[in-house]
Amino acid sequence: MSTVVNNDFIPPVGGLLVEREESRVFWQLRVRMAIATARWMLATARLRMSLVGSLSLFFWLGLFVLFYHGFAFLSSPSIHTNVVEPLYNAFFLALMLMLVFSSGIILYGGLFSSPEVSFLLTTPTRAQRIYQHKFQEAVWFSSWGFVLLGSPTLVAYGVASQAPWYYFALLLPFVVAFVYIPAAIGGIVCLLVVDRLPSIRVHALVLSLVAVVASMSWLIWTIFNGAETNLMTPEWFQELFSRLRFTEQRLLPSWWLSTGLLEASRSPAMVPLGDPPWAQSLMYLALLVSNAMFFNLVGTWLAGKVYRASYSRLYDEPSVRRRASTWWLDSVLARGAFFLPHDVRMLLVKDFRLFRRDPVQWSQFIISFGLLALYVVNIRRLSYIPNYSAMIGFLNLAVVGLILSTFTTRFIFPMISLEGRRLWILGLLPIRRDAILWSKFLFAAVGSLLPCMTLVLLSDLMLQINLPLVIIFHQVSCVVLCVGLSAIAVGLGAKMPDLRAHSPSKIAAGFGGTLNLVISAGYIVLVVLLTALPVHLFLGAGQEAPQTFIDQCIHFMGSSAGIASGIALTLLTGVVATVWPMQVGLRAFRKLEL
Amino acid sequence: MIEFDQVTRNYGLKKAVDRLTLSIQPGELFALLGPNGAGKTTTIKMIVGLLRPTAGTVRICSYDIVRETRQANRCLGYVPEEPYLYEKLSGREFLQFIADLYGLGREEAAIRIAREIQNFSLAEFVDQMTESYSHGMKQRLVFAAALLHDPAVLVLDEPMVGLDPRSMRIVKDLLRERANAGMVVFMSTHTLGLAEEIADRIGIVDRGRLRFLGTVSELRQQLAQEHTSLERMYLELTATAEEAAARESSP
Repeated sequence: MSTVVNNDFIPPVGGLLVEREESRVFWQLRVRMAIATARWMLATARLRMSLVGSLSLFFWLGLFVLFYHGFAFLSSPSIHTNVVEPLYNAFFLALMLMLVFSSGIILYGGLFSSPEVSFLLTTPTRAQRIYQHKFQEAVWFSSWGFVLLGSPTLVAYGVASQAPWYYFALLLPFVVAFVYIPAAIGGIVCLLVVDRLPSIRVHALVLSLVAVVASMSWLIWTIFNGAETNLMTPEWFQELFSRLRFTEQRLLPSWWLSTGLLEASRSPAMVPLGDPPWAQSLMYLALLVSNAMFFNLVGTWLAGKVYRASYSRLYDEPSVRRRASTWWLDSVLARGAFFLPHDVRMLLVKDFRLFRRDPVQWSQFIISFGLLALYVVNIRRLSYIPNYSAMIGFLNLAVVGLILSTFTTRFIFPMISLEGRRLWILGLLPIRRDAILWSKFLFAAVGSLLPCMTLVLLSDLMLQINLPLVIIFHQVSCVVLCVGLSAIAVGLGAKMPDLRAHSPSKIAAGFGGTLNLVISAGYIVLVVLLTALPVHLFLGAGQEAPQTFIDQCIHFMGSSAGIASGIALTLLTGVVATVWPMQVGLRAFRKLEL
Repeated sequence: MIEFDQVTRNYGLKKAVDRLTLSIQPGELFALLGPNGAGKTTTIKMIVGLLRPTAGTVRICSYDIVRETRQANRCLGYVPEEPYLYEKLSGREFLQFIADLYGLGREEAAIRIAREIQNFSLAEFVDQMTESYSHGMKQRLVFAAALLHDPAVLVLDEPMVGLDPRSMRIVKDLLRERANAGMVVFMSTHTLGLAEEIADRIGIVDRGRLRFLGTVSELRQQLAQEHTSLERMYLELTATAEEAAARESSP
């Protein structure tokens, strides 16, 4: 720093920015950050980028193929020619409700609790501009999933129905205009709730969540109720149409979107009289765009009126200082784990306390496994061929594993990184460093065993699998999955810690987290294949003698010896997937400088 | 330049700031002292427009911070205790963003950015992304950003946290010089020595009330008369009833 500061006070120059200039400054900020992020990723995270890009492309293509065949099936005359319209109406209506909710929550976080707005509010920036800045972020964060999931569906429909070129050209404007409407409504609701009902904002949030979950459940119930028989028959479709009639309300933006897109997909030759379909489509697009602009304008105007006052009023409530107390489950865990070394037991209880006091963790856990349980309990409503029940059981096992792997990536992998600057406290304690890692492994493995094994058992019971061997196989595979996935997450988390990061989602989205997710997915596929294939071949084995070498292999795999080999290989895979990552993690963690 | 008129700010039933009336004139360096939870940060957040008073008015450069927020903020520079920087911007890009936000022309901005880079010795790291900065580097950049538009009022919340002794010396000199040049400097601090060394006037707050207000010479006079030190006086003014009783009963 220079020691001489010779700089007389000069009164401020430059005035307050007009709206257009302010908008330009914020766009420049966004562009600068986007360029810097892209450069940084190209320089330091090429592998991660290519991995994420390839997986996204793979996922996109997979969905495209799936939906293409689905639409091709639906367009066959034996089913129904107009089946897509009610399905689109229902899909976009559900999406609209979710977008209102998700953008409202994201905006609440962005407008009222982000450090960026605490900084921007101390500058002469208009409240409207800050709202717009955070609103654009909310639109992006709440709708990128829709782009990833929705675009293959819409493109597949266009290809399957041989839509004209302008259908594909109009997809993006339609989707963007549509997304803005629920996002702006979410923003308006968010501002009004915080302004008018600041003290009950959390209750309002919970109530809206319950309302959304209830409407989603009702929608799903409406679609699949009575689906035990006649599934996918013309009668079933007719019944479905009448149930989904309510989604055809002319005032719903979801209806404008589906109608506009379906109009665009029709060839002019199909409509010899009246306006050409593209003109009809453009009319719906104009309707969506004008409404998007209107709601955005209302949200921005409202922000100008209430945002700064609401921000201040939000802090009128004294911060609640929650008293930390020992819960009976902490004591149960401490006593139940009596056989473990004292240091491991104490660390285990500490991690459990952190988990139960973090609603983000347990609420996501409950929601995901709750939805899975709902699916498993209702599995009989979906018609399936009973001979395949064992295989469906294995598929359910894979789904449980995949859900668990997202949790181990999101919450277990970042555990060591999140110790961050506190790690020196643990490092200076008179405990073995290994104990820290083992406690995290036990926390993850033991914590996941009960819900996962219960779900898999429930799935077998609902599928009426009456072969004890298959049930035992499922349970053994489930244990192997839980233990292995926990070890992979803990081991890799210790091998690749990011001690400067504060956000678990950021750590999980980093290279280490992505690698953990990919390895976990590979491990799940391997374990399920090793157990499912022999059982499948065993159940479907014929009496004919095998002729070729491949036939002999298949015959062996479908024999009792093949099943025994499958289970032995599964156990071996589980041991390798547990021991190896833990060894790697322990070695790295012992060397880690605190 | 900064005027508090019977300002009260409540958090529920708790009064964080209680009927504060205070006027700080151009060229004055004012230090606000007080224990944790005394109302210092609330007072600062009301000056910069983050919080609104429950009662009373706060005026910055004659602008009401509630009704004329943008004009008031235009006169302000603010250095918070926990600085916020855009991680994916370099220090220079951040300064450019601030210059744009305050409507400085391109040439004017370039001159001032160069000046602050020199004043705060940022040249070594100003083109690196801020995510790689240490706390001290971030603090220096935030100082530079707060002074870039030559505000009439500079507000600092615990400004010396994270600065090395050399940087602290430079910041002290700079604050003094800016105040001498006509700027209002409003600073909250726990460091009694810092307040005594550079402030023109000192206010001591406790539980939302202003317990002492006076110039440093008045303070010194009072301290000399009472044969006490600033630390002792501060402790007496901010003591809880129990602490005061314990102190009186001790030999």
